[in-house]
Parts: sequence; structure tokens; C-alpha cells
Amino acid sequence: MENKQPLADFYNPNVLINLGPAHPAMHGTLRVMCRINGEVIEDASCEIGYLHRAIEKLGEEKTYHQWMVYTDRLNYCSALINNIAYAMTVENVMNIKITDRCLWVRMIMMELSRIIDHLVCLAANILDAGAMTCFWLLFRWREEAYTMIESACGMRLTTTYARIGGMSYDIPDDFIPRLFKFCEEFPKAIDEVDALLSGNRIWIDRTRGVGKLSREDALNYSVTGVVARASGVDIDLRRDRPYMAYDQVDFDVVVGSNGDTFDRYLCRMEEMRQSVRILKQCIDKIPGGPIWVDDRRVQIPEKIDVYTKMEVLIHHFKIFMEGIDVPAGETFTCVEGANGELGFYLVSRGGPKAWRMHVKSPSLMQFQAYEKMIKGDKIADAVATLGSVNIIAGELDR
Amino acid sequence: MYNAYTENAPFLARQNAFNSRLQEKYLQGALAEGRKLVFDSIKEPVLWVRDGKDLMIVVKMLRTDDFIKVDFLSSLTAYDNKDKVDGPKRFVMVYNFYSTTTNVRIRVKLAVDLDQAVPTLTNEWAAANWLEREVWDLFGIPFAGHPNLRRIMMDERFTGHPLRKEYPIKQREPFADNIPFHLGAQPLPKSEK
Amino acid sequence: MSKDGSAFAYPMVLAEAAKWARKNSLWPMPFGTSCCGIEMMAVLGSHYDLSRFGAEVVRFSPRQADLLLVAGTITTKMAPVLRTIYDQMLEPKWVIAMGACSSSGGIFDTYSVLQGIDEIMPVDVYVPGCPPIPEGVIHAVLHLQKIIDGSIDRNTAEKPTHEDAINAMNYRKALTHDISANWRVTQEGIVPGRRE
Repeated sequence: MENKQPLADFYNPNVLINLGPAHPAMHGTLRVMCRINGEVIEDASCEIGYLHRAIEKLGEEKTYHQWMVYTDRLNYCSALINNIAYAMTVENVMNIKITDRCLWVRMIMMELSRIIDHLVCLAANILDAGAMTCFWLLFRWREEAYTMIESACGMRLTTTYARIGGMSYDIPDDFIPRLFKFCEEFPKAIDEVDALLSGNRIWIDRTRGVGKLSREDALNYSVTGVVARASGVDIDLRRDRPYMAYDQVDFDVVVGSNGDTFDRYLCRMEEMRQSVRILKQCIDKIPGGPIWVDDRRVQIPEKIDVYTKMEVLIHHFKIFMEGIDVPAGETFTCVEGANGELGFYLVSRGGPKAWRMHVKSPSLMQFQAYEKMIKGDKIADAVATLGSVNIIAGELDR
Repeated sequence: MYNAYTENAPFLARQNAFNSRLQEKYLQGALAEGRKLVFDSIKEPVLWVRDGKDLMIVVKMLRTDDFIKVDFLSSLTAYDNKDKVDGPKRFVMVYNFYSTTTNVRIRVKLAVDLDQAVPTLTNEWAAANWLEREVWDLFGIPFAGHPNLRRIMMDERFTGHPLRKEYPIKQREPFADNIPFHLGAQPLPKSEK
Repeated sequence: MSKDGSAFAYPMVLAEAAKWARKNSLWPMPFGTSCCGIEMMAVLGSHYDLSRFGAEVVRFSPRQADLLLVAGTITTKMAPVLRTIYDQMLEPKWVIAMGACSSSGGIFDTYSVLQGIDEIMPVDVYVPGCPPIPEGVIHAVLHLQKIIDGSIDRNTAEKPTHEDAINAMNYRKALTHDISANWRVTQEGIVPGRRE
């Protein structure tokens, strides 16, 4: 790259274009500076930090329960995955084993969140390329999922559902029948969008061969998730390092070959179908029983006991006002988020607050690779590629 | 002891075998000076290395080791060791490596003093570029050999390193304009500072 | 204007017509930065349709928009950009601060977050919530339409008065009558101390 910006020179064809922090692509605040020759991008440089909210510093100021709220705001399209991954991290440091029902409820919530994250990504990507109909179609199914999530935990988007040692509420009685109906009807929506786009000449021309990321580059930039799988890197933490009960459910890992935008689109569509498959198996296998672990250190007592018994009131008060006492230790717990490998690195020196809370965000790796992906493509292709590399600014900047 | 993982998963055998192999191969004789192997809360290995040169040696060994075949940089971060629980130095750099072929994880830690430089990993993984910029921005740890060491999260004119323990969380430093973005590795010219 | 300089008859009707046109055809510019941006997309979606109220044409260029919907956290790095966008909009323009982060910084009281966009621009309507449910955003747009109409005064709309504060304290007192024996209600507020 040049050290100085080129002077305005009649014979120099290069122009610097700024796809600035406020842009219509609705992917959050990021900036892409491209040096273009005609319409072909010769060089790109990305700038982030426009949504840096100091969530990691807040991890050192807030207690473990208080910080749960901030985990929603990391990958806000699939907030439940972040909640559950954080709860898993603290449970690992404290050596708590959650109950079976909690485990399966968490799996259901994670797969549902994965579906809605893919829906947002696809809808934004398709809208950027101009196919507005599919945006409305996909967002309608988001509302269905939102209604279910709202019935379980009270909030549509930023849920704060998981607690350390359990979940804040058990799922209501009509959740499983509704989920079953969702699993029956949702694949028809994927089929509808598939019929509209996958064989569509315009869509294929728009996305095939665009935003290519080769396999070596995918490993070099250490991308994970759909971006890596579409480039041919066969990693999926659910299958390779199974956590919770992912080895008891059957699912396929979708791996592409070309690494372009079309492959990422197809991977996402198929992954939603696989998530529906996992959900159906979870519905069959979910056991009854308590949702809270029987551990005095973390178990949040029932409200009826809190209001009537003195010791339980004091215990409740201590858990929330002083914080739970986490022993000294550290851990790096990764889960397969909708975007890729989402990890929480927690260093604890004992006490109610963390010493260091680091979030490994998949979007950061993918946005670095984005600079490589759009070299040689046109500006309109850069926009289409940005939609397919699911960049969530909350996670990117933390 | 892996609460997060299902018992008897296939990768656990590899990970446990690797934990014992670390003891034999990486802590042998002359290599063992300054290195230490500890285990974290879920029995994953953490290898402490002596200094920056040793770090590059360990990275090369991990990449070429047929048993683990590290090819993936999961995360690169640091934490402030102000209370000196983890040794006498001020910061601890933390590298998390992963292998996509053998599914084994290892963490490597390196203790650094204030303003002591750490060799960069950008030649090994291009992913380290922005991660090291972030550590420089938030902690102030410089990286020797980095092509583009500028602030990434904060504005480039920002002073102070926020994630250090003595930085108060509410100390704001707003700027009234947006500086022009410049490509490449050049720092801001003196007149614009 | 007629030949002797007197103005055209019924100027009042034109003003009313202008107000009606403006309030029913607000062209929003969505400035979505974080989580509230996703809820804003849901508002603009087909389930909670914002285009029923005229705000259908979503314009991503500030030169063509008249309503700036700031949804999401604004950091100190982003603030000059937001101010530039606001300056580029043409009069008459309105601003809705959607969500807790743009109203007051939200849950992020940190070194890099602007504590409310009213530090850098005048705001017409604040929508509380994190994120606000789409009905809240629709309520805000309807409220803004009443402001444009003139039926709600822009500056003194819905500020609580002294009587409101005293009524609220009395209501709290009535609910918790067993602790009020040890607390007194004064001009400054509720202070501890037994009532004589």
C-alpha cells in the first residue's frame, strides 16, 4: 500500500472510496476504504472501533450475574448463544455440572438462535443485493421465533435467559408444541426462498465467484463458522469438540468448496435445515426434572421461598448484592456460535468479580479476511460480500 | 473433569495424550529453563514460555509437531498482572492455539514488563494483525515487527491504554472531528496530533 | 400576492396542509448501529409495519430524509459522523432517539460511549427500552406526528411537575405503609427520621 495518498493527478486512475461508518447495508458501523481503478477494487482497508463499548473492561467492574446482561449485546442477532456460552464458562471455572433438563433446554435455545441469526444474515444479504421480497419472507419467520423466545424469557432480542447453574425460568408448557409446529412449517419457508433464489440467474451472477476466500487464506486468517466451511475448512465445534449433548444428536456439517458468496448462502440455507433437524431430536429427547443445579453457591431460590423464609431471603440477597464466589482459575470455553467460534476467556482470582473477561469474537477474524476477499471485485460485489460474511458490529468491537 | 464437554468424547483421548506429551517433549532438559506447564480449571494445558524468542521457538515446534499439528490461532490477548499473582512482570500475553486436524487446544502464556516488546505473529498467521493491534491499543504492549501498529478500537489520538487496571472506566476523551483515514502503516503526521 | 401587496386569502389552510403532509410522510433515515438496529428492521418489516404511518420510504441518504432514527449505542468515535449526518439533513428535520443507549448511554457508562445523543444534537422523542419493542417505536412515531401537528408542545411536553412528584411519593407511601413510620416526606424527598 502507498504511504501517502496520491495527489490529484490527471493520469492517475485510482480513486479512494469510503464505504463509511454510516452505510445502508445495515450491518453495523464499520468502514471500508477502497482504492478503486474504474470500478475494480485494487486495495481495501477496513477500520473498526465505531461500536467499542468497553464490555471487557466492564467485565472487571461488574459481578458475574450483572455481566450476563452485556453478553446479549455482543452478537445481538443470536443473544441466547452468548448467554449460554458465558454461563458455561463460569460453570467451568466453578466446576458445576448442570442438570439434564437445563442442558437440553440450552441446546434448543442455541439452535433456535442459530436459525434466527442465519435468517437475519440472509435477509440483510439478500436485501443488499436487491431482492427485497425474501427480506420480508425471512423476517416473518423471525417474528415466529421471537414470539416463542418471548414466551420463555420475556424479551425478544436481548434475552439474558441463562443463569450460572441453570436458566432463569423453565420453559412454559406450550413451548414444545409451538416449537414442533415451527419445525414443521419453517422448512417450507427455506424451500420458498430456495425456489426464488438458488436457481435464479440474477442471483447466481451476483454471487458466484464473488468474494472468494481460498482454503489457505481461511486458515491463515483463522476464520470459523460458515465462512470457513464454505471455503472448504471442515471445522465445526459441535462435532469436533462436542459440548452439552451434541454427540447424542445427528446432524450434518455443511462444507462448501469455492468459498464465494454463493457457497456461503447455500451453506446457511442448509445449516438452517440441519438446525431444524437437531431441534426435532431435542424435542424428542428433552427430559423432565429440575432446571436448577442443586448447588448452594449458585442456585437462585424460588421467589415464593424468598418472600416467606428468612434464610432464603438472606441467601438471595447475598447472591445478588455481593455476587457469587468463584474460585481462582481460568478457562477458555468455546462454542459454535452462529457466526463461528465464540469463546470466553475468563481469568478469575477468586471473589465476585472477574479479573479479566475476554471475548473471542468470530466477526473480528472474518472482517480481517474481508479485506482479502474483496480485492479484485467490484464495489457492488463488496456490498454483496459484506452481507454474506456475517459481521455483527457488537461482537466485532465489543 | 471436563464439565463443558461430554464424557468419553473422542477428542479427549487425544487431548489427554497431548497433555502428557507436553511434559516429555517441551519441557526436556535445556528447553525446560523458564518454561512451566500448568493446567487450568478444566484441565486444559497452559504452557508458560520464557521470553519472546522462546515463544517463536514454541510456535514453530507446535506447528511442525505431527502429534498436534497446530494450524489455527483461536485468540490472542493479554491481561494485567498488577497484583503480581502470576509472576513479577506486569502483563501476561495469552495465545490460544487450536488444531483443525487433531482438535487439540493449547494455551501459551508469556509474561512481559511495561514497554517490553513482544515478537509479532503476523508472519505465521495474518489473523494476528488486528489482534495485536487491539492489545497494543488497550494495554500498551508493543509488538516488534508488526507492519501496522496503530490504534484500532479507540481514536488514534486517544491517550492512555484503557484496559490497564489503573485506567478509570469513565474517563472519556471525545474528539470533535473524524480524522482522515489513511491507508498503510504510517503514523499520524506531527501537525495533526 | 395581489397587486396592492395584500397576501393571498387563507394562508392558515396552507400551514395546516403543510403540517398534515409532513407528519404523514416522514422519510426516516435509519441510523442503526447495534441491537436497536435489528429491532428497527423488525419495525420496518411486515409484521409491525411502519409504512402504515407514512414512514415507508426509507432513505439512506441524509439529504433526502427528514427523520433521523438513531438506534443503537453511539460511541465517541462515531459521534462526529452522526453529527455530520445530522448537519447534512435539510430543515425541517426531527430526531428520534431509539433505545436506552442513544437516549442516555444505556447500560454502558464507559470511556468510549456517548451518554445520550442529546450531548451533540437536539432530540424530539426518546424511546426507552433495551431494545424497545416495535410497538414502542410506533408509539414514538405517532407522538412525533402529534408534535408536528402542534397538538403537543415541542419543548414542554410531558415534563413532570412538582405535584406529579408529590403524588408519586404519596402513592409509594400508600403502598409501603409499614415502613413510612420511619421515613418523612419533605421538599427534598423521602428522608429517614421518625415523624413527630
